[in-house]
Amino acid sequence: MKAPIVGRKAPLAGLRSQPAPAGCPRFFERMIHLLSGTEVSEYRARFRWITILFSISFLFLLGRFWWLQVLRGEHYLEQSRDNFVREYSLPADRGLIKDAQGRVVAANRPAYSVSITPYFAQDTQQTLDRLAAHLELDPPAIAKLRESIDQAKGLKRFQQLLVQRDITREQLALLETHKLELPGVHIQAAAHRFYPFNQTAAHLIGHMNEISAEELSERTGLGYRAGNYIGRKGIERQYEGLLRGQEGRERVVVNAKGIQRGQAKTRDLLGEAGRTEPVPGKDIILTVDMKLERIIEQALERFESGAVVAADPRSGRILAMVSKPSFNPNQWTGRLPREVKEQIDSNPFKPMIDKTIWSYFPGSTYKVVTALAALNEGLVTPKDEINCPGYYLFGKRLFRCWDRGGHGKVNLHQALAQSCDVYFYRMGELLGMEKLARYAQELGFGSKTGLIGNESPGLVPSKAWHERHSREGFQHGFTLSTAVGQGDTRTTPLQLTLAYGAIANGGFLYYPQLVQRIESANGETLIDYPPRIRHRLPFKPEHLHLVMDALTAVVEEEKGTAYRSRIPGIPIAGKTGTAQVRGLRRRATEGEITDKVQWQDHAWFTGISPPTNPIITVTVFLENGGSGGKNAAPVAINIIDRYYREVLGVIPGDRTAVLEDDREDDSDQAN
Amino acid sequence: MRRLKENVDWGLVLVTVLIALLGIVNLRSASLVADSTAYITQIVWVILGGVFAILVAAIDYRHYERYSHIIYGICVLMLVLVLIIGREVKGSSRWLGFWELGVQPSELTKIAMILVTARFFAGARRPEGYSLKDLAPAIGTLMVPAVLILLEPDLGSTLVVVFIFASLLFFERLQRRTWLVLSAATLVSIPLMWYFGLHDYQKERILSFLDPDRYKLGSGWHARQSVIAVGSGQFTGKGYLHSTQTWGRFLPETRTDFVLATYAEEHGFLGILVLLALYFFLIAWALRIASTARDRFGALVAVGVAALIFWQVLFNVGMVVGMLPVVGITLPLMSYGGSSVLTVLIGIGLLLSVSAHRHVY
Repeated sequence: MKAPIVGRKAPLAGLRSQPAPAGCPRFFERMIHLLSGTEVSEYRARFRWITILFSISFLFLLGRFWWLQVLRGEHYLEQSRDNFVREYSLPADRGLIKDAQGRVVAANRPAYSVSITPYFAQDTQQTLDRLAAHLELDPPAIAKLRESIDQAKGLKRFQQLLVQRDITREQLALLETHKLELPGVHIQAAAHRFYPFNQTAAHLIGHMNEISAEELSERTGLGYRAGNYIGRKGIERQYEGLLRGQEGRERVVVNAKGIQRGQAKTRDLLGEAGRTEPVPGKDIILTVDMKLERIIEQALERFESGAVVAADPRSGRILAMVSKPSFNPNQWTGRLPREVKEQIDSNPFKPMIDKTIWSYFPGSTYKVVTALAALNEGLVTPKDEINCPGYYLFGKRLFRCWDRGGHGKVNLHQALAQSCDVYFYRMGELLGMEKLARYAQELGFGSKTGLIGNESPGLVPSKAWHERHSREGFQHGFTLSTAVGQGDTRTTPLQLTLAYGAIANGGFLYYPQLVQRIESANGETLIDYPPRIRHRLPFKPEHLHLVMDALTAVVEEEKGTAYRSRIPGIPIAGKTGTAQVRGLRRRATEGEITDKVQWQDHAWFTGISPPTNPIITVTVFLENGGSGGKNAAPVAINIIDRYYREVLGVIPGDRTAVLEDDREDDSDQAN
Repeated sequence: MRRLKENVDWGLVLVTVLIALLGIVNLRSASLVADSTAYITQIVWVILGGVFAILVAAIDYRHYERYSHIIYGICVLMLVLVLIIGREVKGSSRWLGFWELGVQPSELTKIAMILVTARFFAGARRPEGYSLKDLAPAIGTLMVPAVLILLEPDLGSTLVVVFIFASLLFFERLQRRTWLVLSAATLVSIPLMWYFGLHDYQKERILSFLDPDRYKLGSGWHARQSVIAVGSGQFTGKGYLHSTQTWGRFLPETRTDFVLATYAEEHGFLGILVLLALYFFLIAWALRIASTARDRFGALVAVGVAALIFWQVLFNVGMVVGMLPVVGITLPLMSYGGSSVLTVLIGIGLLLSVSAHRHVY
């Protein structure tokens, strides 16, 4: 160390041309000797200049090293760490969705996805061309990929860009074979969401697809990254936070080619904390029984469009929800073939809408509201009779009964069983719009149940609503239409199911419930959801019994509107409804709806079984399906019949019948 | 030989040996990933170079004055040959193959240029200053190899040759007109070089230096990684054989042009202080030999060798610390490569010869 320091000082000392002090190093002396004259003394001044130049240069370089290594050393050390440390995310397994019997309805299957790292892709165009050929990418997809590759700058060029997820086995084989021609292309195993039941219960289970840029910015801090999948519709969407789990991270040491180094090196550089394990998502256990879903699907086979909700009136638990037409969530999760999308978009029955929570004119199923309201208000006694001549004159307007011949003298029981419009026109007139609306709300109509997703609240029109929305303002005639479920009232199949369930169970309106519990990945119960009462109905028990008797008569009595659809031996109460869509016909002429089918009435039937101590409520809604009694009731009764036989394993109506698995409780309840 | 034995400049030998040893030790680390036996080859070259240096030093340097034209002629011939039959490596043909060995004529040309230019100035004294006309032959002898080397292409060696010549020129008195014309010519030649002399990749390197953000990933990548390596060494370094930038292959050309980056990363500012001090001492020593030389030729040869080492150190270090564009210049005795080692050690041999024969009048 000593010599260089001397060497550095010497030329500077020489510049000063001072006589050599005593004890000066030899080099120093020589320098002075030089400057005081030799044969090459003409170079003297040059030596001075060149020494200055060369000393300054070295000081300058030394200064630069001081800046880089000492002043900015930390910063560059960090950068060198970034160079060799790569962080990989370890995907967390998404939670499973299971039905009440433990059948898996949303699973994860192994799949392979293809990604590309721009930095390693060398000749990007050539690589892309080959990749596009192997994966049969369409030009817009290639252009998009190209763009994101070009936009990757700096360290981003080391980050993998997803090209395509869930490639086929053939594509996988193809890519593996041509691996060497595809620099920078990686194939990774990544679980893909899979729905073993395909279209069955698709609306309530939902599907998944890629998160949008907007959603990504809304969810900052929640661990989402571009290219992540997120739940769409149904349970997948509602329970996204629980299902998702938490991605793990692994820090590995790599070289400039992205090749991972050995474990020893990794430990050496990063210590032990290189890995955070992923936390798998939670499993969701539904209240739904997939077997019943299948039964309902089969029961709806003959119909184009409709919805069925089956619930347990004792708890509000949903046993099945079917919306038709359905879609295949496996197609919607991942790459949706264009033909499928076009086909679904052009379907007039809108397969993507969940009709169980969409609102429609309820028709005569709504008459229970009017009946209970009138009873509760004391406007009518069970014995009071009204004469139905087939029409009802209100002011100057004539309101027709569906039975043009008239029902003759009917009391409440007969009016409900035979669905006499005139009786309820009268009740509506007596009640008035506001009371009718209030009782509808008591039964849960006009507001969301909070079950799931994009639920419609339905509509319970009031005077104020009509003032705002009707062209001519509120007219008293509207009350009469509303009293029979026509007019502007709209309810969802779900609301009807719950309201009827509350009437049948003695007045408890439950919150509907799709999820019975949440389990951890190793099967431990984390949350157990008990049934929750939403509202206690204000009706007297005898009034509820009265209505239930009338509903039983709908099926059991010869004049009942569903009598011809009954299956002897199946104890069932219910109410038919045929909602006129005639109003739509006017719109149809304007070109909106041209298909004749869509001019038909909506058919409704809500059934309760058994009428006393009921265990199931089923609402069948057939969009443009015709008559409630003729079309909807047989479907509902068939579903209930098969529910007893195939899901519960009992013979309905047979008090003593017990099948192999000794289900006495169920068979008792079935009576 | 007798005179050498009596007058060996041990200081110079010691500094040279120290740098060469540091170079070999560092090369072992720098080449560990790419070619782990490079340092052994380097030892062979250093020994061979040492033998050459002793041979060169043993002969009175005045013989070189006499034969400098022949040496120059041989070098020019090799430069022409390399363009015709040269081995192409990474797009440049810089090597002449002799059996298994490859020689870079451009490296040896540096020595030839020192000799031929020193001889010119020593022989053609113009106490009143050189006119342009006087300088014409010297400029001619510069331009021939400079253009040939540029054609290989080897921008780095071209620059070193030109800078050696300029350094020697700086020692001579020039007429004011000559100064003006030469300066003007230099200014004019810069855009001409840019448009006609440089290849696209060379231009890109220079552009990336001027605008680092724009070329962050292209040609700027290497320069950036080099700066990261140097900076991350901090004060004491990461330790020998612990250059993450090297074994991670983030550094380019770790054996040759960027060998100092590995050194700086592993040994930190302290290591750099030692190495730069050694270089400083070597150059100062060469200048001292120049100043005590017996005659003008000897002095100019020593200045030429000092310039050779100085400019190579300056350009290489400047490049490694990101202050100069990446032009491909080796670091004397640190970078791997036979021709480079031989050239520097022959230069040291010349210095020893000048030093040993300084007392002969």
